[in-house]
Amino acid sequence: MNETVTSLSLEDLLRGSERRGEPDWLRDARERAWQIFEQLNWPTRKNEAWRYTDLDPTWFALDLEETGPAELRQRDELPRAVRERLAESDAEAALVFANGRLVHAALPQELLEKGVVLGDLHAALRNNADQVKGALYQAVTETGLQGPEDKLAALNAAFWSYGVFLHVPAGVALETPVGVFHYASEGGKLGLSRTLVTLGANVEATLIEEYLSPPLERTHVATGEFLLGPGARLRHAGVQTWGAGVRHFHRQRALLERDAVLNDLAVNLGGSLARTEVASELVGPGADSEMLGVYFAGAGQHLDHYTTQHHVSAQARSDAYYKGAATVNGRVVYQGLIQLEPTAQKTDAYQTNRNLLLSREARAESVPQLEIAANDVRCSHGSSTAPVDEEQLFYLATRGIPRAQAQQLLVAAFLEEVLGRVPLERLRRHVAHVIEARLGG
Amino acid sequence: MKQTLEIHDLWVNVEGIPILKGVNLTVPRGEVHALMGPNGAGKSTLGKVIAGDPGYEVLRGQILLDGEDIVELEPDERARKGLFLAFQYPVEVPGVTIANFLRLALQARRGEEVALGEFYGKLQRAIETLEWDEAYVTRYLNEGFSGGEKKRNEILQLMVLEPAYAILDETDSGLDIDALKVVAKGVNTMRGPNFGALVITHYQRLLNYIVPDVVHVMMDGRIVKTGGSELALELEERGYDWLKEEVGA
Ligand SMILES: Nc1ncnc2c1ncn2[C@@H]1O[C@H](COP(=O)(O)OP(=O)(O)O)[C@@H](O)[C@H]1O
Ligand SMILES: [Mg+2]
Repeated sequence: MNETVTSLSLEDLLRGSERRGEPDWLRDARERAWQIFEQLNWPTRKNEAWRYTDLDPTWFALDLEETGPAELRQRDELPRAVRERLAESDAEAALVFANGRLVHAALPQELLEKGVVLGDLHAALRNNADQVKGALYQAVTETGLQGPEDKLAALNAAFWSYGVFLHVPAGVALETPVGVFHYASEGGKLGLSRTLVTLGANVEATLIEEYLSPPLERTHVATGEFLLGPGARLRHAGVQTWGAGVRHFHRQRALLERDAVLNDLAVNLGGSLARTEVASELVGPGADSEMLGVYFAGAGQHLDHYTTQHHVSAQARSDAYYKGAATVNGRVVYQGLIQLEPTAQKTDAYQTNRNLLLSREARAESVPQLEIAANDVRCSHGSSTAPVDEEQLFYLATRGIPRAQAQQLLVAAFLEEVLGRVPLERLRRHVAHVIEARLGG
Repeated sequence: MKQTLEIHDLWVNVEGIPILKGVNLTVPRGEVHALMGPNGAGKSTLGKVIAGDPGYEVLRGQILLDGEDIVELEPDERARKGLFLAFQYPVEVPGVTIANFLRLALQARRGEEVALGEFYGKLQRAIETLEWDEAYVTRYLNEGFSGGEKKRNEILQLMVLEPAYAILDETDSGLDIDALKVVAKGVNTMRGPNFGALVITHYQRLLNYIVPDVVHVMMDGRIVKTGGSELALELEERGYDWLKEEVGA
């Protein structure tokens, strides 16, 4: 069944769990995930969800990046790339992980007083044991993993080595975003992170997660679990700006209870290969999930996206809108699924994907899908892929604007429809700058 | 340095079909020339080829900007050397605001940062001359603009970018008489020893307000007659047929 290409073993798993002093329930969950990981095949293009992306098992046969005790440093001692991002960020509460280890934590006193927990997931396992136990593996389970498409989720569930825990108690509204920075500078590693967010009733919170590194050879497998209590509102942005050479695999799933609102933004700009899966599970009436995505693939980049809007409850709403561009030989993929259970009457669900191609060799694949088992619903989906408008480029050129800059303008204009929906001005500017830099000029 | 825009024996094909068949034309700085001619004569083609539209195939000839042949240059390089084309059909660019785009264009033209204050000063003066509404500059470039608004926007860009040579392609079409006067006022403020223009038009109407120094007539891909501003009046009165006979086109 499973080609033993990873250097991982059950012994490693158990030893690691013990060394970190993890509770038995977690060790058992990891072991269950390991069994599943062992049984599942690696996904191939024969699996519908992986139709457009080749996965090479050797990418995961790297040295597992172990975490260690926090080595907290001041802001000015952090890697320069992180310092620059912190300086440009609106986040007051922030965590920085470097090569799998917590190196910086800023949590304003005011938030502590309100009962907000933000920290290393391992620390939370000790200090907030019950909260974590009740929530971990709830949105992305360690057992409901069934096919090759779940292989990497099983890998993460078994071996995640560092993580983030954000808990906001009922009724608390965070005024500024929480920032989490995943930084890496060591090549040849397999990094596995897990982000767990639990929001009590009527909470308002914003979480921005960024992934950044210099160019290096490395694989990162990230999982995000978001539990939104009744009426909770979470704005989340995952901003992938790894350096060239990094492979990034991300599965995120949110559970939305009654009247909960998720506004998600997935940004994929970096790395050589990225596969981002974002799912919302609408389990209560009045729940509302907005899933936005922007991506830009340049030379040698392959960026794959998969969204799932799973309506279990009646009277919920969801909207996925992904837009991206590719240049040189960049490849972009979008697959999206709107899934309505028979119980999901009075659903509003929308899904749109649009791609802009800046060169002949650039490619985009777009597959929107609907699976509808309810009849009193409003659903729509659409997708399009078009080359950049040469007439627009010529018009801008006749005003003296060089081609690269004209392309930057047109790409920014194209993405504006999605980014314009995100009220995080500085983040939008950052995304625009990264794309500008990619387009040169 | 020569201060002319000179077209020498220019031959151009579109998809294998000859459109320009040996065009010769010189516009010195300090002068406004009109280019007239029946529909399909090749006037817009000439404008686009001078601006560097990659859709046209230049078989032969030279385009000399102040003595330098620019035939091999990219359109943006030509623009930065001082060329401007006001389009017959300006292109809509949703998502890009006029102000943002125009500041980038001015910076590209100058090759240096242009302070916001200076930029908005220029923009403000142009808007006033064109009797326009300031709110337009925050709108997306030509998106949803009427024909007349698009033409006014072309002249706004002309005034802000201050090129050495401008080609205005049927800037009068789609304008009512008031808008026509305003647009002409904008072009006339540009007139001076450092500015040359080729005003392409179908009708004499615009030339009442932008009085040309020289009038050229193009037919079937060639300049068939050149004269003073009275030639435009004559064409208005008599049409093009007599000229067709005269030149045997
Ligand atoms: N892009 C093009 N593709 C095909 N034919 C063209 C194109 N541009 C111009 N032509 C042809 O070239 C001739 C001249 O057109 P044009 O330059 O627009 O004339 P004018 O501006 O004088 O009315 C016409 O016969 C027109 O059909
Ligand atoms: Mg024309």
